[in-house]
Amino acid sequence: MNAALQLDRFTVSLGDLEILKGVDLTVPFGELHVLMGPNGSGKSTLCHALMGKNGYTSSGSVLVGGTDLAGLGVDQRARAGLFQAFQYPVEIPGVPLDALITEMRSNDEDAFDERVEQMSGRLGMDNFLSRSVNVGLSGGEKKRSEMFQLAVSAPRMAVLDEIDSGLDVDAVREVAELVESLRKPDLGILIITHYSRILRYMRPDRVHVLVDGRIVRSGGSEVAEQLDSDGYEQWRRDNVGRPSALPDDLSGEF
Amino acid sequence: MINLDSFALKNISRGEPAWLSAERNEAFAIFERLPMPSSKEELWRYVNIDFDIGDYLLPVEPGCVEVSPLEGAATLDVVDGLAIGSGTRNPDFTLIPLALDRTEDRNDSTRYSSPGSGHDKFSAAHRAFGTDGASIRVPEGRVVREPLVVRVQSTLPGSISFPRVMIDIGPSAQASVVIRLSSPDLLETVVVPEIDVMLGPAANLDLTVNQVWGDTTTSLGRTRIEADRDANITFAEVGLGGALSRLYLAVDLLGVGSSAKIVGAYFGDEKQVLDYRYFMRHARENTTSEMFLKGAVDDEALSIFTGMIRIEEEAQRTNAFQTNRNLLLSDQASAQSVPNLEILANDVKCGHGSTVGPLDAEQRYYLMSRGLDRDRADQLQLKGFFEDALSRFPVSTELDSVRERVHAKYERTQSADRV
Repeated sequence: MNAALQLDRFTVSLGDLEILKGVDLTVPFGELHVLMGPNGSGKSTLCHALMGKNGYTSSGSVLVGGTDLAGLGVDQRARAGLFQAFQYPVEIPGVPLDALITEMRSNDEDAFDERVEQMSGRLGMDNFLSRSVNVGLSGGEKKRSEMFQLAVSAPRMAVLDEIDSGLDVDAVREVAELVESLRKPDLGILIITHYSRILRYMRPDRVHVLVDGRIVRSGGSEVAEQLDSDGYEQWRRDNVGRPSALPDDLSGEF
Repeated sequence: MINLDSFALKNISRGEPAWLSAERNEAFAIFERLPMPSSKEELWRYVNIDFDIGDYLLPVEPGCVEVSPLEGAATLDVVDGLAIGSGTRNPDFTLIPLALDRTEDRNDSTRYSSPGSGHDKFSAAHRAFGTDGASIRVPEGRVVREPLVVRVQSTLPGSISFPRVMIDIGPSAQASVVIRLSSPDLLETVVVPEIDVMLGPAANLDLTVNQVWGDTTTSLGRTRIEADRDANITFAEVGLGGALSRLYLAVDLLGVGSSAKIVGAYFGDEKQVLDYRYFMRHARENTTSEMFLKGAVDDEALSIFTGMIRIEEEAQRTNAFQTNRNLLLSDQASAQSVPNLEILANDVKCGHGSTVGPLDAEQRYYLMSRGLDRDRADQLQLKGFFEDALSRFPVSTELDSVRERVHAKYERTQSADRV
């Protein structure tokens, strides 16, 4: 069976700079994975390159629900079932959220409308629908708006970039519980984060550690606990001097 | 139709009060003396006037127009510079032909004078040859909730017309006025519309100008607003039509505590030139002004906004802000945005922001990541860009049709690009 997300030797450059140096990662349907890494490890690059943002060149393969994303534009990737929740969702003045939601409506109109109805009630979005997208929202409200859009788009694979950044403890718990509540057998979720605190409120199936453009460790939640006590420095040290042609033994499925 | 010459002047002046003939003669002398404007003059920078005013003729009677239903509290049609019908009078307001108002009100010559209006050839021609238009008066304390609508149309090929709208809002009176400027496409015509607004103490006016000239109309307009003590004006202009459409706006906040909110939205395509020269003068203390204009240019269109805020020495505790944002939708299009501040007082809050650039790449990326293709993403972003200005417009029946026109214009240029 296809996975929600499957990366094979995924390499990404920004200009001449190689940032991701061959990432292998599989998120099966129904699972929630966490990708952790220090600043500059390539976490946000991974998000943007998956989404097909201009300026990133990539090689290797990316499959979402079995669909090869190679050569697809940003909107085509979204329609293929990939959803990205942004770390810093851009403000779009003059465009109310409900206008965007209307534009997002695809072929399954009835089901879409039902999701909008149900999720706006559940996430308390009613007051936000008539407001411009992300304009004047607090950090927590922006994340909630991203979660709302995720839920109504019903993607096959959701990548949540630094979904816990800029939030206080209560808001982190709220977002984490929200993500847990969105888990479904036909959805893969990848949470990208710097800190392990959000993991206190969710039960990830796997945790991956990204350092210097490579996945250096994958495992259960004990990986995050180890990070909590020892930090990222151990992985950096371990990684020093490793021949760049042979990173794969440390990545992917441990 | 007749030539703009001394013979025409004599004909027009016949039967008019002496002060008016004198003013016409004075303006005619200026008109004859002044050359056609040149882009070398600061006030006409970036604009190339490639015709001679003498090649156009003055209508002596209005052309045929379809009878449109009345709108708002009252409607007056001004066709080819001449008002149709006798207008509306009631205790709350009068909306009548300007010529009629002038004959009935012979002694009040100062009301019709417009100092400085002879500053260029077109304005001088307007003073010399303009005969009619609309006169709106709202007496002291009256409140007119429904808009008073003036529909200015140009219908005769090869004509030059001089419609004038005079608006006089009495002390503590309140009104809203909508002026629509229109002409058919493919009709080559020149219009020199002038709007004069006088606001009494504590008067309130919402004035919306909806400029939807046809694609070969040239419009060289001038609007003057004077606000007395504690008066408030909202002036909103949407500029969509015309081969060249220019608006020279002069707002004088003459009374203590008066305020002006100036908003605008314009969208040029093909080879359109949309030219805005806005002057905001704070003469007295505690006055407030805010200018907020957003525009887009596509194809080979050009837009110009020069905004001058002048704060006189006496105008302490003044707030004045100016924002002009421009979207370039094609490589060939250009937008000039020139803010100016002249501050003679020392206790003021003043600021300006001006931008010219393409659609925002981050907004496009965000919208496309939600599954919208590039065209739909850009269209939504453009709608939002204009909505930011249109949401500041006075509430009027026109606003929905303005939105439709803006979106239709964008869809048209989008589909043209695909050909």
